[in-house]
Parts: sequence; C-alpha cells; structure tokens
Amino acid sequence: MKTVVSASLVCKTYQIEDAEVEVLKNVNFKVRKGEFTVLSGPSGSGKTTLLNIVSSIDKPTSGKVVVFGEDLSIKNEDFLANLRCHNIGFVFQSYNLVSTLTVAENIAFPMEWVQKPENHITKRVEELLEIVGLQHRAEHFPFQLSGGEQQRVAFARALANDPPLLLVDEPTGNLDAKTSLKIVQILQKLKADGKTVIVATHDEHIFQLADQKLYLEDGKLVSLDE
Amino acid sequence: MSETFFSINDLLRRKLQTSLVIISLTLCVASTLFLLLFGEKIGFGISLMGESRLTAGFSMVFSQFIVFVAFLIFVVGAVIISFMVFLMMSQRVRDIGLMKAAGCPNDLVFGYFMTELLIVTFVGCLLGVVLGILADFASTSLLNSSGFQISQSLPNFWLVLLVFAVFFAIALILGAKPILDTTKVEPAKAISPTYIFGLSKESGFTVFAKLGFTLKMAMRSLFRRKSATFRIVLCLTAVFILVTVAVAGGIIADQTTQSWVEKAVGRDIVLIAHQNMTNQYKLLLSKFHETKEDSNFNYTHEEYLISEEILNKLNSTSGVTDIDARLVLNTQVMEVRNYTFNPQTGETIPVGDDREGESLIIGVEPKKALSKWYLEGKFLKEDETFEAVIGDSLAQKMFSAPLDQGIRLFDRDFAVVGVCLDPVNNGNVTYVPLKVLQNITGISKPNLIMIKIDPLFNCTQVLTQIKAEIGSINSDFEVFELNEILNKNLELLGFIWSTIMFLPLFSLASASLCLIGYVMLAIAEQRQEFGVLRAVGATPKTVVKIVSGQSLMVLLSSCAIGIAFGIIITLLILVPEPLITVYTVIEIAGWLLIALAATFIFSLYPAIRFAKKPIPEIMAQT
Repeated sequence: MKTVVSASLVCKTYQIEDAEVEVLKNVNFKVRKGEFTVLSGPSGSGKTTLLNIVSSIDKPTSGKVVVFGEDLSIKNEDFLANLRCHNIGFVFQSYNLVSTLTVAENIAFPMEWVQKPENHITKRVEELLEIVGLQHRAEHFPFQLSGGEQQRVAFARALANDPPLLLVDEPTGNLDAKTSLKIVQILQKLKADGKTVIVATHDEHIFQLADQKLYLEDGKLVSLDE
Repeated sequence: MSETFFSINDLLRRKLQTSLVIISLTLCVASTLFLLLFGEKIGFGISLMGESRLTAGFSMVFSQFIVFVAFLIFVVGAVIISFMVFLMMSQRVRDIGLMKAAGCPNDLVFGYFMTELLIVTFVGCLLGVVLGILADFASTSLLNSSGFQISQSLPNFWLVLLVFAVFFAIALILGAKPILDTTKVEPAKAISPTYIFGLSKESGFTVFAKLGFTLKMAMRSLFRRKSATFRIVLCLTAVFILVTVAVAGGIIADQTTQSWVEKAVGRDIVLIAHQNMTNQYKLLLSKFHETKEDSNFNYTHEEYLISEEILNKLNSTSGVTDIDARLVLNTQVMEVRNYTFNPQTGETIPVGDDREGESLIIGVEPKKALSKWYLEGKFLKEDETFEAVIGDSLAQKMFSAPLDQGIRLFDRDFAVVGVCLDPVNNGNVTYVPLKVLQNITGISKPNLIMIKIDPLFNCTQVLTQIKAEIGSINSDFEVFELNEILNKNLELLGFIWSTIMFLPLFSLASASLCLIGYVMLAIAEQRQEFGVLRAVGATPKTVVKIVSGQSLMVLLSSCAIGIAFGIIITLLILVPEPLITVYTVIEIAGWLLIALAATFIFSLYPAIRFAKKPIPEIMAQT
C-alpha cells in the first residue's frame, strides 16, 4: 500500500529563554493509505507537536517529513497552505472555530479558498452537517454551541475539501462519555470510507479502530504493534 | 514584588505596545507644543503685525485658521491619548482578572497598573516636550536659512509646563478609567473570552450573505469590538477634520487669498509714472510682503503730473486695451459718525467716533479701474458722487461699522460704500472718484497710469514702443511691470499657507500610530482564529487581507466623515467666497489620498509582521 506519511529522524527542540527543551527525539514512522493510526502517550509527550509537524503547521528542528511524496522541509509557505487546504484535514483539541463565522460558514470557508462553486459549497455544507448531525445549528455562532457540538463542527470543517489525510488531536479529551461516542461514530465512518487518519488520543474506544498504534514517551516513539 | 518593579517588567514584556503608546503620546504633546511655539512666531503673530505686513482682512483669515487648527490639534491630541491609554489598558484586562482571581486585592491591582500608566505618560509627555522644542527650533532655523526673518528665541517656560501638565493630566484621567472599570468587574468575567479586551463576542450585526469570508470576518470583527471601533473612528475622524481643514482649507484659502491679491493688483498690469512716483508706488505695494519705512513723499509735485500728451499717446498706441488713470495723494482722514435705526425698538443708535488718521487717497475713474477687489459692499459707480471705498486695514483701525458711516477728507464728507481687501499701502487706502478728487484738490491731472496690454499683441514689442514714446516726451517717466511685486506678495501668502499645512503632520503621524494600535488590538483578539485559518490552509496574505480590510473600513469611514466636516468648516466658516477650480479639487484630493494611503500602509505593519509568524506561535495564547 502507498505511503502517505513518512517521518525519519524527526527532532523538535524548543528554545525557552536559556534552556532547550527537546520535545521529539529521532522519531521515525510511516502511515500507509487508508490506515487508521492511533498516537498515544502521556500529557506533554509531544503528540500535538508531532501532529503539527505532519500537518506542516510546524517545522521539525531536524529530520525529514514526507507527506503525499512531498518533502515538507523544502516547500514554501504558499505550497504548504495549499497542501493543508486540499489534502490535510486537522481537528484541533480545542476546536478552534472562527468565532465571527456561523457553523455553516465555518464549514464552508476552506472550500471558498479553493474556489469551489457556490452550489457545490452549499450542497457539501448540508451533507457534512447531516454527517455530524448539526443541521439545526447551521446558522448559530460557535459561542452558542456546546463543546461536543463545536467538536463536531470542527470535524465537518476538516472534511470540507474531502482531504485524503485527517489529523485529529484529542477529539474526546474535553467531552463526556455520551458526546465522545458520537465522535467515535464519526471516526468509524471515516475509517469505513477509506480515509487515512492519525488520531492522538487516550480513548479506549478509538484504540479499537486502530490499524497502527504508536506510543510517544519523553519524545521517543515506539510502536505498540511490535 | 514592588509596584514599580512589576510595572517596568510588564512594560518591557510588551515592547511594541509600550513603545507605540509612548511614541503617540510624544507626538501628540510635541505637535501641540510645536504649534503653540512655532505658531506664535508665524501665526498668532500675524494678527499683531497687521500694521506693518499683510492687511487686516488677510490677517483675520490667517489667525482664524491658525486658532482653529490649534484648537483641532489640541482636541486630536486629547482624543489620541485617550484612545491609546484605553488600548493599553484594555489589553491588560485579562491580567487584571487573573490577578484578582488569584486573590490579589483590588487596591494592589489598581496600584500595579496605575504605576504603569504613570511611567508611560510621564516618559511620553517628557519626550513630547523635548521633541516639540526641537521641532520648533529646527523649523525656525530652516525658514531663517530660506530667507524668511523669524526670531529664534528661547521657548516660553510656562507654556511648555502648561502643555506638559495638561496632557499628563488628560492621559492619567483617561487611562485610569479602564483600570478602575476592570478592577470592579468580577474575576470570572474579566478572564472569560467574552470580556477580554472589554469586548463582546456577540455580534448583532448582519452581514450580507454574498460577501466573501474575508470581508465577512473583517466586518463582523469590527462590529464585535464596538467600543474600540467607535473610539478609533472618532479619533481618526478628528484627525481627518484637522488634515482637511489644514490641507484642503489651506489650499482653498491659499488660492482664494492669492486671487484676491491678484485681482486687486491686477495681472500683467504696466505702471507708467514719474520715476519717483513709480518708486513710491512700488514701496506702497511692497508693504504687503515686507516692512518698509514710508518716506515723506510729496505726491502733488508738479513734475509727477501726467500730461495730456502722454495720455493721448497711450490712447493711440495699438495693443493698449485699457487705461486706468489715477491720482494718488496722502492726507489726514477722519471717521464720520452716523446713526442707525432699530425698526423693532424704534431707537436710533450712534455709530462711530471721531477717529483720525493718515490714509493714502486714490482717485480712480470707476468704470475704467483695472483692479477687481474682493469687496464688502459695492464699488464706486458714478464719476461725480461723494462716495468712497476704503481699505480693510483703515476700516478696522478707524471705523466701527464702516458701511454705515462716512469718511472726511479734504474737509468733504464721503459715504463709505465698500470695504476692499487691498495690498496697496497694506489696506490703509481710500478710493474716491477721480473727478471728485480733482475738483476738491484742484489738481486736474493724474499722477499715475496703469495700462493693460492686449494678449494678442507681442507684449515686449508694445512695451518697447511705449517706453520709447514716453521717453521722447519726458525722460523722467518710467514704465514698470507690476508682476514682479505681485509675485512677491503671492509668495508670502504661499509661504504662510504651506506652513499652516505643515502643522498637522505630527497629528497625522500620531493617527497612524493609533491605527497601528487598533490593528494590534484586532490581531491580539483574533490571533487564535488567524492561527486556525492558517492551519486549515489560509496563506499569510489572507490574514493580512482580513486585518487590512478592517483597517481600511475604519479609515474610509473616518475619512469620509472627517473630510465632509473639514470641507464644511473650511467653506462655511473659515474662507469667505472661496475660489475652487478643478485643479483645486484635484490637488486637495491628491493630498488627502496621500494622507489616507500613508496612514493605511503604516497600519499594515503589525499585520504583515504577525502573518509571517509560524502557526504554532500565532496560536499560542499570550
């Protein structure tokens, strides 16, 4: 199967005043097309940093990350923005919806950037709202939604341009059991649709969906499958 | 931790914001102080030098303008300072909330942030005073080196202290309000996202569904932070009123006053008179732009009278279109009292006194006069009526209600029918019909002739011919083109107006800093969202577009209101009968567009700087 994400010897160090904090240490892994990968590890182990690097939001201090055959370290910002817009969907842990846009507009704006026709955008928004079960919330602003609803809007936004790769950061971390189940159902559907998914989580229900399990501790990555 | 230590640390942590507030405070104080110091030398002084330079009417237009610009600069300074300290303190609301949530007592929180405010305002005002004095010194030196004589004296200590104290107090009072407001708010509310920056997240504003997301986000954000948006619009509106009054008003007033002088003196007018008389008339006309001592000139000397032969020669010279013969004299004049009737009360009210003075008397043939004065009232119509038109300086010096009074000269009373703005003898002049003047003085001939040459003829050729013919009759007579003196008079007006237009530059710079401050507030408030936009595929350009959209909307709305009010103030209050041509409009539009574009470009700096940051840094909460 084709490799979608490949990371080799990835290191990330943050300079905080005079001290250097090494968050990732020589991380190597591969994710193949259609594979559902679960990334776990204690808090502060570097999961979000790793997802940020794979999504091209952040750059590694050293090492190489190749996504869809493109070496991210040598690409300019416009190329990376285009890659994120077309090929990568990102669901943030804290939802990060745009507070000035309604639910429908939050889902629609990534499609406007790739200049999809208006009727396509309208149809796709309706379709995604149905998938996440929020048709009745289309005209509401984010501050009018609960945490679980905001998380589902974040999923819908990540799927707007139908990206082949989806990165999800702690999707159930802030939610109660009942709301978490809805999120797990969405992830199940994504897996069934053949999407390549990388999820950072501690949730047992999501672990059950995994084709590949990775564990990060103190910046080092180990495969739980081995 | 001591209050001072905390405050200094906090100010240093927010270097850009702290320096912005200090710089805008500095510029506000500097511009006001500079205006007062420099304006005293070139502006307010103008109204006092009416006797020696400029006529009373012109001085009044200038001093009105300068006083109004000074008032606006002061208001703008206060508004800018209020906005900047509001911004500075608004961005500390979350910190104040956090400190209160952690159990810090109210008075200690207030103390920390008041100390910050004290440090910033003191440094800003102090630097402003220094910059204001330096700007005044530099401008005066520059103008002196360009040939204008402006005294370079030590600044008035009390004036400097007054400006410092007033702005320091304004900044403290206005800055203390947001701190006090926040210290009164419950900690939970102060740290909640719906209260940070004192802004409401809710938006009751409906944006057109068809608008693109970039514009939608920009508009909704503007309406969401109503308080800050309202303040910046108010602030920029005040600045644009000032800029419009100074620039548009300056250009209109410059062209209008120049046209008054040009029409009063006349363009392409040639003076023919005895050489002594010519020199005397040049001196009288030059008094508008330079102080000159008037000698005891004998206008009635027989040699100066112009013979019929010269007049006939000029009449028969082809190319000479108009001949304006004048009799110029100098004599004592006296104000003539009068009474006006109040139809409502039936009372008669005495007007005037018995003031006396010396005035230049010019007899003209009303229908042949080449000058077209800017007049209050009317000009002389008949050749043999006892009517007079007096100059503006004479009217101001000797009359209470000139158009209701009369003037006595050569023991005869003349009704004052008009007051004209005239640079000749700096407005200390009286025009009467030539025939009447000749009859009462017994001088039957004019002593000065003004002619106009047909533009279809070769001017140099006609002049050479006139010089030769006049020279053959009387070699003491001279032919002189008045354009040289006219241009010097116009130059003086141009210099004064350009100086007035220069005054609001500091305020415009402060306004740009205000807008930068507002853009920084917008970025601080929306940084998380911008991070998300970037993360889901927006380029840095999109972020700049959203921020610049907000900045442009604020600028355009302020600019529209400010320019409209500025033009109304200029046309209705400051310049009577303004002269506006297509070129005037283009020139004004050009300057205002430059001011608008410059302010906009400067305001983009924080947006561009922010958009270039790595996404994780953008999304990190500060």
